[in-house]
Amino acid sequence: MGNKHWKKIRIALSLVIFFTLLMMFLGIGLWPLNRMEDLFLRLQLIPSILRFMALFFSASALGFLLVILLTALFGRVYCSSICPLGTLQDIVIALAGRFKGRKGRRFHFTSNRKNILRYSIMGLCILLWLGGSLFLVNLLDPFSNFGKISVSLLQPAYIWVHNQLVFTLEGMDLFWLFPLSMHFLPWNVMAVSVVIMLTVVVMASWRGRLFCNTICPAGSALGLIGNRPLYRIRFSETACTGCRRCEWVCKAECLDSRNRHVDHSRCINCFNCFASCPQGGIGYAYSLGTKAKRHTPQAQNTLQAVDSPQDGGNLPAGSSATTGQSTQAENRPQTGNSQQPARVENEKRLFLLGAAGSLLAIPFLTRSSMAQRGQGGGRGHGRRTDDEHIVPASKPGMIPIEQQYPSTPPGSISHDHFTNHCVACYLCVSACPTKVIVPSFYAFGLKGFMQPRMDFHRSFCNYDCVRCTEVCPTGAITRQSEEEKQLIQIGVVRFLVESCIVTVDGTDCGACSEHCPTKAVQMVPYRDGLFIPEIIPSLCVGCGACEFACPTEPYKAIYVHGRKVHRKARMIEDRGGPREDDTDDFPF
Amino acid sequence: MNRRQFLQKGVLYSALSSLYASTLGRIPALALNSSQGPGKYDLVAVRGGEVVEMYRRAMQEMGGMERYIKPGQRVALKPNASWDVPPERAANTNPELMAAIVEDCLKAGAGSVFAFDHTCDNWERSYANSGVAEAVRAAGGQMLHANMERDYTEVAIPGAKRLTKAKIYQRLLDADVFINIPVLKHHASTTVTIAMKNLMGVVWDRRFWHRNDLHQCIADFCLWRRPDLNIVDAYLVMTQNGPRGTSTADLTRMRSMLVSSDIVAVDAAGAMLLGHEPGNIAHLRIGDEMKVGRIRLEDLHIRRLVL
Repeated sequence: MGNKHWKKIRIALSLVIFFTLLMMFLGIGLWPLNRMEDLFLRLQLIPSILRFMALFFSASALGFLLVILLTALFGRVYCSSICPLGTLQDIVIALAGRFKGRKGRRFHFTSNRKNILRYSIMGLCILLWLGGSLFLVNLLDPFSNFGKISVSLLQPAYIWVHNQLVFTLEGMDLFWLFPLSMHFLPWNVMAVSVVIMLTVVVMASWRGRLFCNTICPAGSALGLIGNRPLYRIRFSETACTGCRRCEWVCKAECLDSRNRHVDHSRCINCFNCFASCPQGGIGYAYSLGTKAKRHTPQAQNTLQAVDSPQDGGNLPAGSSATTGQSTQAENRPQTGNSQQPARVENEKRLFLLGAAGSLLAIPFLTRSSMAQRGQGGGRGHGRRTDDEHIVPASKPGMIPIEQQYPSTPPGSISHDHFTNHCVACYLCVSACPTKVIVPSFYAFGLKGFMQPRMDFHRSFCNYDCVRCTEVCPTGAITRQSEEEKQLIQIGVVRFLVESCIVTVDGTDCGACSEHCPTKAVQMVPYRDGLFIPEIIPSLCVGCGACEFACPTEPYKAIYVHGRKVHRKARMIEDRGGPREDDTDDFPF
Repeated sequence: MNRRQFLQKGVLYSALSSLYASTLGRIPALALNSSQGPGKYDLVAVRGGEVVEMYRRAMQEMGGMERYIKPGQRVALKPNASWDVPPERAANTNPELMAAIVEDCLKAGAGSVFAFDHTCDNWERSYANSGVAEAVRAAGGQMLHANMERDYTEVAIPGAKRLTKAKIYQRLLDADVFINIPVLKHHASTTVTIAMKNLMGVVWDRRFWHRNDLHQCIADFCLWRRPDLNIVDAYLVMTQNGPRGTSTADLTRMRSMLVSSDIVAVDAAGAMLLGHEPGNIAHLRIGDEMKVGRIRLEDLHIRRLVL
């Protein structure tokens, strides 16, 4: 029954997946890990579900069904092997164990399942999502959090170390490696990432996989689906001596060896217990047909096992909440604090109802709707709101920019599509070679809290690059070929002639036109032999090169107004290759 | 030689040479290289060949690379590798030309040869897709990154009107020989971009130039240090939509090459290839007025070659 190899397989698999995804987030293409990136991305539960919605049932988005199937068959193997944040916690647990004594390292069974907490959080995530906001998902999704930690904190550390190596080599006149540019994310995004990382680290080093069994919405959903898996971990009636060694290594604190009971809703299938048991007293068993053998408190549950996984399995989103409630109510007497099942039930309903009512409003708190409300005084980033104080055009760049919508990456179709599907994992932020994709905090309102946007003050979108469309795991940015991408208008250029250097100073500039890949910004003759920009919006792809290059301060004289719904730009006419000039004389 | 000595000498030599250029040098009969023959020309213009072929002929007429490089010297090459476009779009210097020049420098005994550009587009993509980085490396040179502010050092530019100081690429400051290798192109706001404008890629803060009278800054910068040699790739020439271009339809195959030590003269010749009167282009006119070089081609000894 017991099999010591399960744990080794789990560790190997989880480390391969963890390092593949970590390398991807750090921007290191390490063979052969980089060949498996797509596969492992497709298996991430919440990104995969969102991808399913974003790409209209595309085959590349069926990873979540596989995960659900795996969970229904074997329990939460996802949490132990596939989830990178889970592996990160395992690493923290292992490291923290080194600082603890032999006894301090031990885990202990707890009967407190924190069902109200975890299913409320999951329910709120789902409610908000159904209401149109990924606010909570963006904050709590484990894959997204792994990304936030990697890109905000681990990547700068990696780049620093890499660059120290490069500079040392350069000091020896060796130029084998190029340094990497350090791009810190905005401070508020960094702060959230630090909080998330501290939460994960503290919870993991304190109580193992507590995070997965209280906060993580994916863990809660899989806990419902995997509550009665077909093949389940079970104590052996005969071999188990009740020595509790399995409890001490159980990171989920879900093994009750005294009652020989496994709480499958919390078990993450780490198989530590298999390896710990000298008797082979715990292991996998096929559950059908063995129902009658269970202890009395279990009998009730096990009978349900046959029908309810289907229920939860089909739709982890909507119907699972009710499954959770009933499961929990029935489990309660056996868990210990058995006083008031009915009252808890009512409280929970009330709480959910109230929360749903108030939080359903969040989706409508979009940045743009707020901006429109205050359109008279609202000025884009809220940098300067007093429009009585428009400075006369005495110096270039003194005129504040009118309201400016944020731009979303090419392939993201529209603000709605983007904010409805992005989990804010920041893979695009890390992959973008020009680093123009930067996490926003509130640019899309609470609806798209912390989702990335294009920041043309930092950089601009490379005309021939489609990297973000290739890496996005959720389909918030749909895949584009180079040719397709070059015709997507993510925003449109606007020009403030009164702010332009040519007008104000009477000197040539043309930085905007110089950088424009489509010549949507052209220089046309102006007074005194000068040239001044002229814009052709139909050609504009909204790459932001003009805005980035414009040297006026503090405001730009040319900028990109993001499109809420992306459009098609006019194709540049190519009248065929170079002209031949066979003159064999010189004009001088 | 420490930096102070270097700067002092630089100022001294540039003062002397501008004195020379503004007096004796202006009179063709009295100019040092007034007599004919290889190594005696102010400007060599070649037309009608392939890129490397024209380059070799031009350098032969200039007296060979050995005239400019002493054994063991550190040679800096400044190509245009600013744009993330492939070589056939001719927004960047031809990679074959780069390879030939690197080989030549090494053959002339250079201790090391490196090329760099502070690019406009993303530097990694520009270096790779322009083909320049690979060509330089394959020929035995180094392609150095120039995308970090820490690699730039602020230097005063004596005599400049607007660009009185600039942060310049440190390894260029340390180089013994400076060869400028632009590609001839139309430019939307400065009309042409050739050798003088190409030097914008050796400073950190380009925006300052755009903000403070671009033409004046371009001319000012040449007062810091004029390249020892300017090799202008005019094989495939962007005649419209410069400096980035939108397609190969912006190009004309002129099959030309210009080589000179006089950065204003080589730009004047380039401007004329593009059909412009050099005096109408402000940075050339200012460069001539500030004695950076000579704009009047009729005063120069020009070797014209048609292959």
